[in-house]
Amino acid sequence: MATSEEIVEAYGEWQVRCNANPRLAKMLRGWDRRVHLVTSDSGLTFTIAVSGSVLADIVPGSEGVPDVVVTASSEDFADMFWGDLNPSEKYVSGDIVLAGSSEDVMRLDAMSMVAFLDR
Amino acid sequence: MSGSPPGWLPCDRGTRGLWSSWTVTQWPWGVVMERGDVTADVVVVGAGYSGLSAARSLVDAGLDVVVVEARDRVGGRVHTVTTPTGAVVDHGGQWLGPGQEHLASLAAEIGVETFPTWTEGSNIELRAGERYEFTGLVPTSDPGAAADAIAALLDLDLAATAVDPAEPWTHPDADDLDRTTLASWVEQNVEHPVARDMVTTAVLGVFGVQPAELSLLYVLAYAHGGGSLSALVRTTGGAQERRFVGGAQQMAVALAEGLGTRVVLDAPVSAVGWGLAGVTVTALRRVGGADPVPFRVVANRAVVAMPPAAQARIAFDPPLPPARAQLIQRVPMGSVTKFHAVYERPFWREAGLSGQVLADAGAARIVFDDSPPDASHGVLVGFIAGGDDRRLFPAGPEGRREAVLGDLAAAFGPEAGRPSEFVDLPWAAEPYTGGAPVACLGTGVLTGFGPALRRPVGPIHWAGTEVAEAWSGYIDGAISSGKAAAADVLASIGGEVGGGAATHEPGGRSRGDQ
Repeated sequence: MATSEEIVEAYGEWQVRCNANPRLAKMLRGWDRRVHLVTSDSGLTFTIAVSGSVLADIVPGSEGVPDVVVTASSEDFADMFWGDLNPSEKYVSGDIVLAGSSEDVMRLDAMSMVAFLDR
Repeated sequence: MSGSPPGWLPCDRGTRGLWSSWTVTQWPWGVVMERGDVTADVVVVGAGYSGLSAARSLVDAGLDVVVVEARDRVGGRVHTVTTPTGAVVDHGGQWLGPGQEHLASLAAEIGVETFPTWTEGSNIELRAGERYEFTGLVPTSDPGAAADAIAALLDLDLAATAVDPAEPWTHPDADDLDRTTLASWVEQNVEHPVARDMVTTAVLGVFGVQPAELSLLYVLAYAHGGGSLSALVRTTGGAQERRFVGGAQQMAVALAEGLGTRVVLDAPVSAVGWGLAGVTVTALRRVGGADPVPFRVVANRAVVAMPPAAQARIAFDPPLPPARAQLIQRVPMGSVTKFHAVYERPFWREAGLSGQVLADAGAARIVFDDSPPDASHGVLVGFIAGGDDRRLFPAGPEGRREAVLGDLAAAFGPEAGRPSEFVDLPWAAEPYTGGAPVACLGTGVLTGFGPALRRPVGPIHWAGTEVAEAWSGYIDGAISSGKAAAADVLASIGGEVGGGAATHEPGGRSRGDQ
């Protein structure tokens, strides 16, 4: 099980990589959304805002109304943010669950995969 | 029906309804009934999933229906066979995906079980002569290319959400989208050449034609009809997610059994006469190698449930209106040969492989594990598609086999080159479909002729997977198109059923008027 601190630290790495990626910037254009992360094993929650093609800092807790809710084990969140886990594969296998409009889910799936590939 | 004079049925599998089944009081104009003619409320042309589904809905509504089928079997583009070594293979459509509720509920009703397509293990990518393994949707040996391909898929998927599959031509940019081929979109929007190849391979697998042959508007409408392009190419979570124990044709066979002698096989329709009030369908029946015998069905309505391009072989009298007549000249079928290689066991699984292949060249560019649920033997299924199929048209069965087995050996090792059995079906050579999996619309067709795709012509309604608003190109779309055509027929004759006569003018002309 990954702790809240570990997830926040891993996200920090992922955030820097994503925000430096021009392909992702293009994919996120016009997609201003609030994403909640929920760990299935430890009940932790986090909030990530995407605005102006930029991923904001992660905030512990569920803030506001989410557009997409991502549920996964704490370990999978940490591994995904460290770039050690193929998010699309986990999504297809059902280990990572995305809830939201099909367009938002589609976009989050694609951008997490591009972040993984361009690591 | 019991009152039909003996010997009047023109065939051993004739229809149940002769004069006594005639519940429609208005006769087609100008039709002179002849000895041997069969009458019905509705004649359905084609006993694939769309025609059978239409017929079933109409029979359920109380109408008399005759289904006329060219082949000696039902199922159309879905055809299950048992090979000499006992492998059950689907030469045509075979998969069930999430969201295909028409197909899923039909299978459940008939009691056909499904099981997940085998996806455990690594997929294989063959690229520039090298072999790589990958997991997930897109080959990752070149991460930049993979990221480009995913970004391109997302672009297409997002664009598709704005296209109404029922009326793609109403999109505000329809003209632009419909004069752009998928190939030119890829050239303008996908930088990485390897990513372009990935998109091409995906398109080959879905449509069976090259990206240059497809209108972007058509691709977006088609993708939206199945959710998204990425859903169409997925196994788990997509159109190839599940399979049917015993094959995909069983539900068609069960539908036909339910229709009984209403289904007339070996009866290719050669002519359709139509007028304001009715339709006369003429087939040439071939039974027992004898000379073809004309077989006529006179009905109030027709549901023509066959690929639009194949309708061009029918002599319509009077001719179809211009929009319909020209539409069916512009709906070419994809070029696909589907092959199965059968092995004593699914040996690739022992090597941690899923059986899936994506290749940038060759004959076997798209391959899946098609072994039975108990894995009592191993089967690889794949497609030779588009330009690859056409290149191999002259090669014949041996040439195709050699080309495919060479590719399979490159992917899975020499064992894959020595199957116990190899079967394939070049759909381009199938006379009554002329290709597969679906009609592939080029530029200008949807904006120029789109509304003619579903619009009835007089008493003739159209069904078939090409006509479906959702899951066009799939079995599910065929079923829904048949149900929709049946509903349209019912609405056109007054929306009510039950004996038929109740919905028609009393005192209308009867048989005696002829």
